[in-house]
Amino acid sequence: MDYQEIFPVPVEWLQDVDRSMASTVAGWADAEVMAGRLEHKEDYESLLAPAMRKLLIDIGLQAMLWPDELGGGGLSTPDAAMTLASVLEQVGRADTGIGFLLANTFALQSAFAVEPHRDGALLEGMAPVVCGDEVVIGSLVLPYYSGESSAQFFGLPYQASASSDGDGVGLSAKGARPQCSGANASVFGIACAVEGNPALVLVPSGSKGLSAGQPITKAGLAASLNADIALDNVRMPAAHVVLTGVERLRETLSWYYTFCSAVTAGSLLAVYEILKEWGDTRVIKGKGQVFKENPLVASLLGEIGMRIGTSRILTYNAARMVSAPDVYGPAGSPAIAATAVSTFKQVTRMAMEAMDNTMELMGSAGYATEWNLERYWRDVMTLQSYVSPETVTQTDMARHYFDLKKL
Amino acid sequence: MAGENKGNEMRTVDDFTRPLEYLAPVDKFLGEIVRAWAEREVMPHRRQYDEDWEQHSLIEPAFKSLMGELGLQRMMFPEDLGGWGFGHSNYIGTGGCRLCEEVARADSGMAVAWAVTYWPFFMICNEPHVNRRLCEEFAPMFCDTTEARFAANAMTEPQGGADIENMEIVGGSTIETTAVLDGDEWVINGHKLWPTNSGGVCDLFGVVCTTNPGSSDLDDFAFIFVPADTPGCTQGGPYQKAGMAADKNGDIWFDNCRVPSWYRAHGPGLDAMYFKEVISMGNMGSTAFVSGAMMNVYEILKEFCSEQTYRGRPLKENDDVAGVLADIARDIDIIRVLAYQYARMLDRPDLYGERWSDEIVTKGRAYKYFACDRAVEDLKKAMNIMGAHGSDRLCDVEKHWRDLKIVQLWMGGKQLCQMEVARWFYECETI
Repeated sequence: MDYQEIFPVPVEWLQDVDRSMASTVAGWADAEVMAGRLEHKEDYESLLAPAMRKLLIDIGLQAMLWPDELGGGGLSTPDAAMTLASVLEQVGRADTGIGFLLANTFALQSAFAVEPHRDGALLEGMAPVVCGDEVVIGSLVLPYYSGESSAQFFGLPYQASASSDGDGVGLSAKGARPQCSGANASVFGIACAVEGNPALVLVPSGSKGLSAGQPITKAGLAASLNADIALDNVRMPAAHVVLTGVERLRETLSWYYTFCSAVTAGSLLAVYEILKEWGDTRVIKGKGQVFKENPLVASLLGEIGMRIGTSRILTYNAARMVSAPDVYGPAGSPAIAATAVSTFKQVTRMAMEAMDNTMELMGSAGYATEWNLERYWRDVMTLQSYVSPETVTQTDMARHYFDLKKL
Repeated sequence: MAGENKGNEMRTVDDFTRPLEYLAPVDKFLGEIVRAWAEREVMPHRRQYDEDWEQHSLIEPAFKSLMGELGLQRMMFPEDLGGWGFGHSNYIGTGGCRLCEEVARADSGMAVAWAVTYWPFFMICNEPHVNRRLCEEFAPMFCDTTEARFAANAMTEPQGGADIENMEIVGGSTIETTAVLDGDEWVINGHKLWPTNSGGVCDLFGVVCTTNPGSSDLDDFAFIFVPADTPGCTQGGPYQKAGMAADKNGDIWFDNCRVPSWYRAHGPGLDAMYFKEVISMGNMGSTAFVSGAMMNVYEILKEFCSEQTYRGRPLKENDDVAGVLADIARDIDIIRVLAYQYARMLDRPDLYGERWSDEIVTKGRAYKYFACDRAVEDLKKAMNIMGAHGSDRLCDVEKHWRDLKIVQLWMGGKQLCQMEVARWFYECETI
């Protein structure tokens, strides 16, 4: 299906690498996920894990930002944001959960793998793992309610407290909730305050003092095996502090929100496919009317289509702005950060409205697992609630748009 | 005491408004029994219900306790047949509303599975259209046992469910399940799907049939009872769904099933007319389920927002969060008032009109889809306030979000509700 014919986005922003990567991943989606989900539904071991391995290792997605000479994909400049967003849209179309894991992984990597912050030594040190044959998932641990630290990121406490000396950083947390994959992430990016400044610290799994709690069962995102983590004075070298400062943390969040928007936009494309297949030739028998030609149904279909199309445009717009700091300024600037979070909120809001409407039209077929719609519905709702609580993002947006001083 | 200033007392779900003068005399008594059952038998296990969707090994004991041992499956039958006589009660609506709330507060899947057992019985147990012979026939199945017994309303067919309920416009013309009178027996043939309490659970079906395929004459609409063990009656396994694990839904095939001719509820014209009462009761139950489930969401949200901190204080003490909490509480209060108002209308047909009248059916549709629309939006808001915990199975809000979505979808869905409401209020003739 050529989505550019149905839900167009500004093509002048897309480079050949964006299109070719998206096309490759679309093929993966059809072959490795869509083809198997009637039988395997959302089973981690039989469907999702093998599909992730194919995507991340065989296709090489997890090393996209690593240098060619180290076995990576060679993307290193901010325009990688557009490439990764195009790719994540196709991943989200296959499975929102896998997309969410990659959104975390890429956002975390962006902090030290993309110019002007590219850290050659860190990339070289991590290359044997990231460019090897094991799946590497990154997970962000962001400020959240009731976090243990007394330090806050605009009113929201960090989940870990940090102490630093000349050699490195010590991190402590009792029950921190990662964004994803607490049970099996390869590396965590822990947001904290180091010497009073916002910072992001890389903590590999297996670090001394890091432990995971019981698996968390949740409404969706089966690919994310999440668990709360504890950090018992986990010590990391200074080189693992990959960013410091408000603007740098905002930059990572801008990438993250944009990638989550792309995953959600992809989920909406899948929903479109499901609704089209189900409803294209359906007849409302009592009226002798083709389903989609009924005015009330058509009004809802129009709203659904509008939300899908608009979500794509907003997502690609945000990706463009994040990927072109020479035009729009740094991705961590207040304006770009607010645009990224606004995009995320609007896209996920519209996605849930579209999925709710789709389920209304499909009735019990939409609610049954067989048609797959309910899985995207659960997954996007879970993603939306995880990434940032509603009122927190509202305050973030208001802070920029209306120049708040106290909140 | 009514109207007393509650001062600094902690608010509970019982502080949501009900019109006290409408309540059944047994409201407090029965409500407390069922609430205690829910706390004891359901709340400790409901987080495992999703995985139990097929076997019901955890769910079945709770049903047995509620329906068989406490005896709620007997409610509709006459007292002299071992029932509770609700069919001639002046409080069938408000009494039922309270019980629906209490069960749904724990688990709306259990609530619908239990309540739908009454659906076929409304056709034969309710005054003024009691079918005494059929009451005598089926009462022993439900009243003479402490095992859970289920009945189902087999209505939806593969080509559509909303069409079948859309009686005013479609007149039953899309029903493909046929009933042919052969001597003193009906011969039933057809395929139904999705009724609550199918999937292998049902003991007794009330089957929506046509005696003249393609006819829109409501005389040809028939409601015929078919025991599940009738030769030729086969139930398929349950479908896996996004929620409502305690409610099993599947396919039913009727292959030359023969039942006595007197297993038809009433007769030409009357079956269709009284079936609209079944719709009214279903809409009342749906609104009450929403009310009950949302009251539990309030309980969970209140605790969460009292314990979690943001900006150095409990979540609920932040104005922006409080604004959203207010919207949710406001909607729960309104939904509860609506549920009881409609229940009152069902209790007093002398004041409001017969339960099967177009007006009563329409208003039930309106309240049901209002309640469901608000609940769907409020549940998303609740999950978003709770952040990552909003989607945690251990916090239970996501369960209600998944469960209540199907309440919005069933009984023809929102679009049928809209058409019937528009038709009645605006005298539409062609929609």
